[in-house]
Amino acid sequence: MFEIYRRTLLKGVALAPLAGLLGVSLSSQPAFADDAVLYGAADAKAKSGGRLTVGSLIEPPSMDIYHQAGEAVNFVAVLMYQTLVYADPLGNPHPLLAESWEVSPDATTYTFNLRKGVTFHTGEPFEAEDVKYSLDYMRNPENGTIGARDFADVQQVEVLDTHAVRVTLKGPNSAFLITLTHRNASPIPRGWYDRPNARALLNSSSVGTGPFRMAEFQQNSFIRMERNPDYWQPGLPYLDEIVVNFIPNSAGMLVAVKNGRVDMAVLVRPQDAKQLEGAEGLSIQRSISLNQKVLDLDCAYGPLTDERVRRAIALLIDRDAVMQAGISGYGQRLGTMVPGMQERWGVPIEQLPNQVVDVERAKALLTEAGHPDGFDIDLTTIIGYEWMEPAALTLVQQLAAGGIRANINRVDLGTWLTNFRSRQMGFTLNDWGTPPDPNILYYRHFRKQPEGADFRNWNDDKASALLDQGRAALTYEDRKSIYGRFQMRLAESVPTIMLFGADHLVVVSDKVKNHRMHPIGWHFGLVKTWLDI
Amino acid sequence: MNPTVFAYLRSRPGLATGLAMIAVLLIVVAVPKVFAVHPPEAIDVANALLAPSGDHWFGTDHVGRDVFARVVHGARTTLGIVSGSLLLSAIFGGLAGSLAGYARGWTDISSGQMIEVILSFPPIFLGVMITGILGSNMGYLVLALSVVYLPLFFRAARSTTMVEGAKPYVEAAQALGAGHDRVLLRHLLPNVVPSIATQYIILFPLALQVQAALGFLGLGVQPPTADWGASLQESKDYLLIAPWMALFPGLALIVASLAVILVGRGLQDTDDQ
Amino acid sequence: MGAFVLRRLAASLITLFLASIVVFAMVRAVPGDIVEQMMGQLGGSEGEAVLRRFFGLDEPIHIQYLDWLGRVLRGDLGVSWRLGAPVTALVASAFLVSLQLALLVLVFSAFIGVPLGLMVGRWSGGAFDTAIQSFNVVALATPVFWIGLMLLFGVSELLGWSPPTIYVSPVRSITENLTILMLPMLSLAFLQIAAYAQFVRQHVIAAMGQDYVRAARARGMPMRRVLLRHVLRNILVPLSTFMGLIFIQILGGVVVIESIFGLPGLGRLLVNALNARDFPVVQGALLTVLISAIVVNLIVDLLYRAIDPRLRT
Repeated sequence: MFEIYRRTLLKGVALAPLAGLLGVSLSSQPAFADDAVLYGAADAKAKSGGRLTVGSLIEPPSMDIYHQAGEAVNFVAVLMYQTLVYADPLGNPHPLLAESWEVSPDATTYTFNLRKGVTFHTGEPFEAEDVKYSLDYMRNPENGTIGARDFADVQQVEVLDTHAVRVTLKGPNSAFLITLTHRNASPIPRGWYDRPNARALLNSSSVGTGPFRMAEFQQNSFIRMERNPDYWQPGLPYLDEIVVNFIPNSAGMLVAVKNGRVDMAVLVRPQDAKQLEGAEGLSIQRSISLNQKVLDLDCAYGPLTDERVRRAIALLIDRDAVMQAGISGYGQRLGTMVPGMQERWGVPIEQLPNQVVDVERAKALLTEAGHPDGFDIDLTTIIGYEWMEPAALTLVQQLAAGGIRANINRVDLGTWLTNFRSRQMGFTLNDWGTPPDPNILYYRHFRKQPEGADFRNWNDDKASALLDQGRAALTYEDRKSIYGRFQMRLAESVPTIMLFGADHLVVVSDKVKNHRMHPIGWHFGLVKTWLDI
Repeated sequence: MNPTVFAYLRSRPGLATGLAMIAVLLIVVAVPKVFAVHPPEAIDVANALLAPSGDHWFGTDHVGRDVFARVVHGARTTLGIVSGSLLLSAIFGGLAGSLAGYARGWTDISSGQMIEVILSFPPIFLGVMITGILGSNMGYLVLALSVVYLPLFFRAARSTTMVEGAKPYVEAAQALGAGHDRVLLRHLLPNVVPSIATQYIILFPLALQVQAALGFLGLGVQPPTADWGASLQESKDYLLIAPWMALFPGLALIVASLAVILVGRGLQDTDDQ
Repeated sequence: MGAFVLRRLAASLITLFLASIVVFAMVRAVPGDIVEQMMGQLGGSEGEAVLRRFFGLDEPIHIQYLDWLGRVLRGDLGVSWRLGAPVTALVASAFLVSLQLALLVLVFSAFIGVPLGLMVGRWSGGAFDTAIQSFNVVALATPVFWIGLMLLFGVSELLGWSPPTIYVSPVRSITENLTILMLPMLSLAFLQIAAYAQFVRQHVIAAMGQDYVRAARARGMPMRRVLLRHVLRNILVPLSTFMGLIFIQILGGVVVIESIFGLPGLGRLLVNALNARDFPVVQGALLTVLISAIVVNLIVDLLYRAIDPRLRT
């Protein structure tokens, strides 16, 4: 079984020298779960015990992991809920709740052997029936779950024995293992949602298998997690308790960090790092992310319907300057791929079209498209996303060079999401991230309807065909070449302009040891973090 | 200057100071370009967060805009929003209040009930809801603020009208066959206007604070328009390295409120004598 | 008097009823709904319809309102859509935080502001009066949130200290609770101290000209005693109604302070619930604010009535 697993795994591995760049040490070796790979590297000096307080600007609206989307949920959910598969920082799948797996040669049947001796926080044993229940519940659109679309290609889930499950897909999907790494796919005890009050209970307790379990969730204040005494990885986690303290504004957060009220904080605004430079007893960890800050172009919106106009916009934008304004340069300029996946999947920026500022060509394109004097357009930003306003101000100035008069229109996230989901996003800044796989990154956002959501009304046949091929392709080489062609198309037709990816900046007090931020930004790293007190 | 006015003002330094401050503010609002050499909306990321200097008197903000220019140009936005929305609520609240006070009976009771409902909302809660519904821009902000303060004008106008309406000369006019519109316009309105004006002066600093607070919560004018509340909102994230971003717009707010409060107090003291 | 109380009570109930319609209509007029918030950039559109049915969002608006009103009348504010928890409990715990802060500010500023007002009223026109008057004017002119920010950063930079960021209820530890609420209270208190002082000063100046004060002075009573025995007693009732008005003002002003200091109060509950489009919670929070304002207004009115016979028409 191990042999099969290794073959599947290695097939796609072409390790880039990313580890050094990130300041994160990575293992390229496939491995069983209880070694160094899961949740980052182990630390021989680690001591157990203590409470870690983490400051967070954002708060999960709810911890009902099957019905509530949002990064704030992801951050903490991964400490309490586990998936069958864990994705390392490079996007390689590793066994977590699955002990091993076998993939059919056409990538349509996945057979998982489950880890034995694992129990849920409820005390019930973790078995194949739970996996089946969870996947079936999640993929059924009648349940109003957030992952229904991601698991729409699952044909059936069969229980082979108490610790073996077979998932059959409607078609080949080589990204399925990474799809399973999202907390959407975390197994919960069978029949959970049939219990009365099931959803409310998830806000006062957790029902996963993770190293921490929920002790208390005080809305608008904090969430407290305590060590799971029955956790299956021996010796883990190191911390007795994690308190995630919600501090609603960065001014308050900075003061709290400086005065030791929190031991660690993720700086959503990278420029805050500047304000903490030289502060005693604190250090700032910077690492690469899977995040992208983008300018989205609704291809059915006013002048943006014309591809030439979209190209002209791309040619007017100096992404480095926007990044400087938005996050003081603490990030990576993007082409068509998020920073953490660029080495492995991205087309080098210099090979992509429409990446270098060329005002003359932009003007020529605009004239050709019937806008010799430019046009007026609303540029939407979202209240609460601090980087957007300075970025938008810079964009307005850059677009003006081509005669495009952009007016900034700030809306609240609720209104913005309504427009986004109804595919009426207009001309807007956006901020999102992805698990480390190109299929997950692109498919939902750019595949034509109905298979994809195609939020930008791109409706591009060529790109959609490539996305279908990429999903079905089996080898890394094939996938890389297909997604390379897709990226060329993306850069040429410009339904989105990936501006930059913000690096993760985490400020930690000196007593916090062995903390590493996973590129996806969720708190996987806290499982192996310890306190030197 | 007329010597008696001069002497009057000399005996009331508070009022004089307030009036002088308002005069300066009005000039700034009228011709901001005279004061600020830098354009308020020109960003220059390379020169962000510069400390105050000869070139940038109040320093620069997080995208390199001149804070002095933003404070000077922000005066027009901020003071315009506040005075405009108060004017709206003064007109509509004043008219409705006078009518209710004059008509009495069911008109009075039912409009009084509606006013009571608005009055029960704390201003910021109401502002948050209205901008939440309509979206965040200057026009809606003016609307939200004018709704917030409408009840107070309504009440002032209503009670003045009631007091005046009960006076013999009004009854006499009515007895002589003057129409309602004539009574309202000729006799009652002249009495209502001063009480509305007093209310206006009292509410101005309060409205200024609510406007700034809404700006601080991110509700208000759209960038890149200069506005004091918005400037303060942006400044809160740079307090440790660029305190000037918060200091000067804050001082501007204080100065503007101060001017109106001083004038209000000065006039009030005069009335008392 | 009895008839007036009844009439006033009835009017308050009507206000409350109208307010409930306004609250409901306003909340439902907010664009977007919880389903989009839950789905984010994920999920399928089929699931949206299912969830809307689940939350009753597919019902006609007046049915939704009547349903809500019916529950409210039975003392049940419904269930939070995002949390599944009863709104009553959420609102109650948040309201207690705001209420405690508001009461602290009310009492603390009275302790400083009233004596201050007595003193400046007593020595009105002097240098002390001018100094306090200037402080008053500046305090009235300064935005509360600006004071809050300056206090937070000033104390942090000067003393290397900042308040704990996890709220502790006074029941669990009164000292910790007060440590947390100290800076927020001070931020809000500046304005209210000035308001009290101004209010008391005017009443003292007016009382100074009154016969009873002149008589007491003529009997040789020291000024201090006149102030405390007579003047203060005479302004206690108007002062308490004034406190009622201030209280409503503070309750409304806590939103921004709660956001700066991270307190889990009503304002933050409202803003977070509004952002999540968790309508039952928004409605519950707003209704609570309105009820407290209406009740305080009612008490103030009745008090006024009790003391000022001229209003008894």
